[in-house]
Amino acid sequence: MEPFFLGSGADQRFCLFHRPAGRCRGAVLYVPPFAEELNRTRRMAALGARRLAAHGYGVLQIDLYGTGDSAGDFGAARWDLWKQDLDTGAAWLRARIDAPLTLWGLRLGALLALDYARTATYPLAPLLLWQPVAGGSTHLTQFLRLRTAHAMLGEDAAAQNSTKALRAALDAGQTLDIAGYDLDPELARAIDALPAPDALVPPVPAHWFEVLGAPGQAPGPAAARLKAAWEARGTPLHVHTVTGSPFWATTAVSTCPLLLDATVDALEERAHAV
Amino acid sequence: MTIMTNLDEVKATLIDVLSLGDAGQRLNADSPLLGSLPELDSMAVVSLIGALEERFGIAVDDDDISASTFETLGSLADFVAAKRAA
Repeated sequence: MEPFFLGSGADQRFCLFHRPAGRCRGAVLYVPPFAEELNRTRRMAALGARRLAAHGYGVLQIDLYGTGDSAGDFGAARWDLWKQDLDTGAAWLRARIDAPLTLWGLRLGALLALDYARTATYPLAPLLLWQPVAGGSTHLTQFLRLRTAHAMLGEDAAAQNSTKALRAALDAGQTLDIAGYDLDPELARAIDALPAPDALVPPVPAHWFEVLGAPGQAPGPAAARLKAAWEARGTPLHVHTVTGSPFWATTAVSTCPLLLDATVDALEERAHAV
Repeated sequence: MTIMTNLDEVKATLIDVLSLGDAGQRLNADSPLLGSLPELDSMAVVSLIGALEERFGIAVDDDDISASTFETLGSLADFVAAKRAA
């Protein structure tokens, strides 16, 4: 595992490269989740990167602008800057590994990966989408609730007590402190305005992975709906379900080992199909 | 594969998000949640609502979020059932 910075000073991005073991099968660029979910999923992301590397993939994790150890405050982060960061990471990988690039996105990172994939000017391999969020707008609402929940439970009477009020404040140009994150109206707007996943059809197939708490549970409706929508446009979506802990949502750090197995299995099937 | 009831699924989501484990299995419809489960603080409530939204494909409005919704497992399950039927 090799840590390094791309760029320098106020422009630097912290990166971790996981060198592929054995014969290199391809390159993977990780697209992380948003805000608190980024923190909660660090362990699982590290396990995933290591597992993919052990399976022969060179994996790059880049801290997007304003997050992690990269330059910039969270309040200065922008969706378009994040896509530029993905471009930078992708170029770094392409210079070293001559293979179509696998974008691997978790939660909102899955939507960011899809949004970015539409504009990629180089060959992509099928995307790996871990537990994609339902949509940008829904995810933003969930994030805003971090502030309204305190009010709801009487913990902070001064807080604006509805996500509607918070959205109005954002529309008025106000930066909001949400659980310690400075949410800039521009970033909020970009997330809110993301097309529904149905419309974010990538130029290549994708693998959707969903984590269910128990074997008896049915997957959520989003995956099946998306599969139908994309396949009507000629793009296959393979849906995989595994049992395990919702590691992006649990208050204590948790992991989902079966998700790692399923991801590698999906890549393996692809390799056989070739 | 056993078909889970709405109550079972909501309970399963609660157990997963709060990592309640075996203690969570003992919950029933009358079990009090908010104020009784120490794991259920405001951050956990937010995670739980998000998990319910995604698990069941429902949208929870601001007005829906009141302490009474989370009073018991039963009240929470009823809330989810109503949303799923809408």
